[in-house]
Amino acid sequence: MKETKEMYILGIESSCDETSASIVKNGTEEIATVISSQIDIHKNYGGVVPEIASRHHVKNITIVLEECLQRANMTMDQIDAIAITYGPGLIGSLLIGLEAAKTLSFIYNKPLIPVHHIAGHIYANSLVRPFQFPLLALVVSGGHTEIIEMTNHYKFNKLGGTLDDAIGECYDKVARVIGLEYPGGKKLDKLAQLEKCTYQLPIPLHDDSYNFSFSGLKSAVINLAHNEEQRGRELNKEDLAASFEKVAIESVINKVKKAVIDKKIKYLIVAGGVAANQRLRKEIEKLGSEMNIEISIPPMKYCTDNATMIAAAGYYAYLDGRRADLSLNSKSQDKLV
Amino acid sequence: MKILYIDTSSSYLYTAIIENQSKIAEIKKEFGQNLSKEALPEIASMFNTHNLKPEDINKIIVVNGPGSFTGIRIGITIAKVYAWSLDKPIITISALEAMAISGEENTYHVPIIDARRDHCYTAIFNEKNEAIVKPCYISYEKLAEELKSLKEYTIVSNDQEKIPFKNQRIEKYTPNIQKIVNSVKDRDTVNPHSVNPEYLKLTEAEESKQA
Repeated sequence: MKETKEMYILGIESSCDETSASIVKNGTEEIATVISSQIDIHKNYGGVVPEIASRHHVKNITIVLEECLQRANMTMDQIDAIAITYGPGLIGSLLIGLEAAKTLSFIYNKPLIPVHHIAGHIYANSLVRPFQFPLLALVVSGGHTEIIEMTNHYKFNKLGGTLDDAIGECYDKVARVIGLEYPGGKKLDKLAQLEKCTYQLPIPLHDDSYNFSFSGLKSAVINLAHNEEQRGRELNKEDLAASFEKVAIESVINKVKKAVIDKKIKYLIVAGGVAANQRLRKEIEKLGSEMNIEISIPPMKYCTDNATMIAAAGYYAYLDGRRADLSLNSKSQDKLV
Repeated sequence: MKILYIDTSSSYLYTAIIENQSKIAEIKKEFGQNLSKEALPEIASMFNTHNLKPEDINKIIVVNGPGSFTGIRIGITIAKVYAWSLDKPIITISALEAMAISGEENTYHVPIIDARRDHCYTAIFNEKNEAIVKPCYISYEKLAEELKSLKEYTIVSNDQEKIPFKNQRIEKYTPNIQKIVNSVKDRDTVNPHSVNPEYLKLTEAEESKQA
């Protein structure tokens, strides 16, 4: 009976450099969320340092949990279940959230729901509007680039993904070549808005699959920058950013378009941190009106790593009968399907 | 007065529930890589076997390192979340002190945890178990220098084969949890939010930045 009435889920997320806790009602209504980001710390190292991330998670975990319950004006007794990101992610980071979730599950005798990080990103959209099936989810972030088809709630079918670097990772690396401070992906996107695509770069993995490859494109940019330097020519950063972004996003759009046609998709979701990318948003919206399909891109606060999406996904995982016991372990790598 | 003791700072899980100096339940098992998976089910099994509820615990004592970075964080996370959520008093203790307390009596103790690259975590405790050299990260070479000034002492360690001291008797470490709990249980408790590992060592990234 509980499933059809009110259900409050506490979500916990610590897969990378954000410690987050959130309480979500019925998978759709955000009650309270706390996110403690370590970005200012890792900036000094040009990327996330796993051991430093783990050290901060353990420092922050109870503070984040306490603040979340306070903001929701709730106690643990009022929570119906605990949803936890078990993977994929940085193993040392994941473990902190996992042990916290297992401890709370043990102490309060609450169901423990294992949530895959990507499922979380997809279900960030259920906080915005209800899903319609068949649905296509494009998950783009610093760690992931995947196209997933869903025929119903919690029924995932991975059509394709990156064969090497994630798109966000590629953005950050190219940004570094151009000389932008970490995390440079967003700054690169901004620079590319002044677009003039004067540099020639290859469109990656221009084939019949739904897969992506970004390492070749990354190497092409590095080589180009290197050659220009050797010839004593100054690199036009804006133009290089625009040239890179054009082919990177074009390769994503090509594959999404193919999947939309092949699978007769009517509803397209974009999720993950790179969903904030201006060119991607523009091109996805263009694709939407061209193909006459509905588009959903969640607001930025749900795109980056957060526990709200984990609590939302946890609700549907719960309805799907997914439970874990206290022997749940973290997995640095794990397939959604 | 029921006290829950948790130590996951090595490849072993050492946990127990002690009541008025007697042992209700105790687990000493090596899990290695599976510590994160097994620690909580094992702790829960102690409660279930003895029909205890988490609320029945009056105090928590947790080992805060040094040792395996990931290992320490497992026990610390469990202990601080437990103490915070049920508002239980919590005390931290160094793994090195736990080793010294568990050793033979009436002698100086030098607990050693190998830290690779010719270094170790160590401290020197006198016969009253007071630290005359505080827990630190030090090269074996420097430790050997320190030890020259001591007349008689016992090394306690589970890393025998990694310790480069020749002709030195090394006592193996198996915690005497009752004794450990008994000697520290009346210490000042701390705020659960501030319960954190004592790594005694910066991360490699921080070290190379400082260099």
